[in-house]
Amino acid sequence: MTADFKIKNGLDIPMEGAPSDHVRSVPLKGTVSVFPSEYKRVKFKMLVEEGDTVKQGGVLARRKDQEDFLLRSPVAGKILEIKLGDRRSLQEVVIEPGDSNERETFSKYTVDGLLKTSRAELLALLKDTGMMALIRQRPFNVIADASVAPKSIFVNGMNTAPFRPDAHVLARGKNEELQAGLNALTRLTDGPVHLCLSAAKSVTPDVLTKASNVQVNYFDGPHPSGNTSTHIHLLDPVLPGDSVWTLRVSDVLRIGELLLNGAIPATQTVMIAGNGVKPELRGYVTVTTGMSLASVLDGALIEEETRVIRGDALYGDKVDLKGGVNFYDQGFVVLPEDRERHLLGWYAPTTEMFSAHKVVPSAWVKGKKFSFGTNTRGSKRALVLTGIYDKYVPLDIMVDPLSRACISKDTDDAIALGILETDPEDFALCTFVCPSKTDFGAIVAETLSLIQEEGF
Amino acid sequence: MNKNLKETIESKHKEIEPLFHKGGKFEKFYPLFEAQDTFALTPPDVTKGNTHVRDAVDLKRVMFTVVIALLPCLLWGIFNAGYNYYHYSGIEANTFMVLFRGALIVMPIVLTSYIVGGIWEVTFAVVRKHEINEGFLVTGLLFPLTLPPTIALWQVAVGITFGVVIGKEIFGGTGFNILNPALTARAYLFFAHAKDMTGDVWAKFRYFDPEVGKYVDGKTGATPLGLGASYGGQGADVAERLSSDGFSLATIFGGLMPGSIAETAAIPILLGAAILIVTGVGSWKIMAGGVAGLLGTAILMNFLPSGVVGDVTLTTWTQVPFIYHLFMGSFLFGIVFMATDPVSAAQTDLGKWIYGVLIGVVTVLVRVTNPGFPEGVMLAIIFMNVMAPIIDYYVVRGHIAKRNAYLRKFSYAKG
Repeated sequence: MTADFKIKNGLDIPMEGAPSDHVRSVPLKGTVSVFPSEYKRVKFKMLVEEGDTVKQGGVLARRKDQEDFLLRSPVAGKILEIKLGDRRSLQEVVIEPGDSNERETFSKYTVDGLLKTSRAELLALLKDTGMMALIRQRPFNVIADASVAPKSIFVNGMNTAPFRPDAHVLARGKNEELQAGLNALTRLTDGPVHLCLSAAKSVTPDVLTKASNVQVNYFDGPHPSGNTSTHIHLLDPVLPGDSVWTLRVSDVLRIGELLLNGAIPATQTVMIAGNGVKPELRGYVTVTTGMSLASVLDGALIEEETRVIRGDALYGDKVDLKGGVNFYDQGFVVLPEDRERHLLGWYAPTTEMFSAHKVVPSAWVKGKKFSFGTNTRGSKRALVLTGIYDKYVPLDIMVDPLSRACISKDTDDAIALGILETDPEDFALCTFVCPSKTDFGAIVAETLSLIQEEGF
Repeated sequence: MNKNLKETIESKHKEIEPLFHKGGKFEKFYPLFEAQDTFALTPPDVTKGNTHVRDAVDLKRVMFTVVIALLPCLLWGIFNAGYNYYHYSGIEANTFMVLFRGALIVMPIVLTSYIVGGIWEVTFAVVRKHEINEGFLVTGLLFPLTLPPTIALWQVAVGITFGVVIGKEIFGGTGFNILNPALTARAYLFFAHAKDMTGDVWAKFRYFDPEVGKYVDGKTGATPLGLGASYGGQGADVAERLSSDGFSLATIFGGLMPGSIAETAAIPILLGAAILIVTGVGSWKIMAGGVAGLLGTAILMNFLPSGVVGDVTLTTWTQVPFIYHLFMGSFLFGIVFMATDPVSAAQTDLGKWIYGVLIGVVTVLVRVTNPGFPEGVMLAIIFMNVMAPIIDYYVVRGHIAKRNAYLRKFSYAKG
């Protein structure tokens, strides 16, 4: 497939531990948890109590600010425990799965019928089922506000970061679900629905390339050519006051499943990758939403201290095995915690540790995959080098002035420099390559939340 | 062996580490421990935050690469100082003697700079509780290389003190300074101890003083820039005159002549430039811009008449063939090692070009139109250090305007 957009800026990190295409199922073991805490900044009111029984898809809680936005249970069972955090914020609802197959049902649609369904009806259903949370909104990358019509909707079918699930694998054999989801999205905006795919991976036509009623765009180039911010910047940039909605292909598939079956999907497919996972088990697993991570990863990890990352190695959250598979999850990367020290390693001419900088010999080695751990590979220092970060950001953004504006909390300048077009994940490569080990993602994230609080 | 050594060091460090932690005996000196610890062994730290993997590069490697790039210049400086010593003393000497004598002249200057500057660096790190920055490895070597070999060690000590304290630490340390600390140190000596930094001070030698009745050290050595300034306003074929005074283009390029320790020869500097450019540590944009600015201005100058034009007396320098400007004085050393200091230079890509070009332009302007200062590189770079934030400011405003023009091509959302 020829690319519509060729991206030059960026870097593909040659990391060992890529997942295979194999999808397997892991049967449900133990309890299932729903984590209201994963919806950052959203407060919920509990509608059930400990000891109550719920159907699959039964209501657990509602948003405090939107009464029709509900949180539902992925399984039928009994509420074992409701865990509260600071200031009685709802953290986790633990459900013991029961034997009953009773489930809450919703209206069913056909793929073509969805093209005529009204926007209001679809939004009401999405909110009622809690699936609205899968639709995010830029700027700020928050749950979409259904009361505002987005100027366009972006569906991300790319995976350039190490590692994210391959949308082509997830969508395999699910053409109906995909098309149903996409058809529904076309009803939510007056503008176009963009499906963004990798040109290289779309050489052989499949479910994704054959999607209709949407504008399919092909991108070519190194990471972050697969980031949603890159797609939006090139196709329909976010201007102040704008709202653009974003989803991943996995989200569209789940919405499609809900619309076709009239029931909340109980399972989701997540990727497990990284060299902290045994090579034969790197791939995809279909699991019950809310199942504990310890049982999902049981026997899959190497015999060393490891770090499990929700998201990818470049941008994700470190998670505890005691936690569960979140509603948003589509992949975990596991890396060894690398605390090894190297004698004079700061100047040893290494070819074992990857670097993008020509000053390290390994940068001259081409076509090799490198092993990565979580070591910082240097100590934190003041920012000294300049002008090296822009070539890792394909957006028309100058990283040095933007980060300076952020550090000095100059939100006006940060907005003028384009911060509203970005998400902290877009700066992960800058953090990766920084010789002073500065966390640009954190700097941008802090300013974005400041702007979000203050308004602009 | 390597592994055993590593384990021994690691266990020794573990043993003494608690002394430097909070509540330990040497709590205050933690920066010293950190510097030594992370020098010997890479840190055991694991990443925090959202980005879990990191590149193998760190600031130590970047800074040390600059030191490596400076080594050819240092070696040349040692050789040249030794050569000039024997040349002006009128003694025949073999290469070994030349190098030995050169090292005796140059190394004390370098060591004084490192030791005195290092003490200040550590003092500030301890008081301010920040880590010792590897940038000092560069400053501590750059500064002595710009000095005449005849400089007194106490002057080196005072100079580097001024550079580190006033040039860097009062602004908050590495990364916050406005001026290049090494050049600030040199500028201080240049103005505060002018007679030891200008004139015939560029070569050390030894002569028999009949009044004292024994051998004493002396200073001498004309430089092409110094000579040229002395030619005054009489127009003549400057290149020919320089050549008859012993400074043909080949001599100026080769560098076996009096001058600051590392400035005289082009080849070691170009070698250093190659290292900086290939490793990506030094900005080739600044270097290329500087050379272009210098040559362009020098060519323009060649079109000016020399001598007295109206009320203005133009020095002979207008007539110097433009290529001489490139290799005379410390322009190459300055543009390769001083102007490319990323903290004090312009930070935007376009800004780097402008910054580099203007350094070249100002260098020639000072050399040619100001009879008071034969050399203009140091002043040009310091001047442009001050201007760099303004250049960046306008480049960034231009970028914002370009961004807005791009965004205006797209429609706003309805409602």
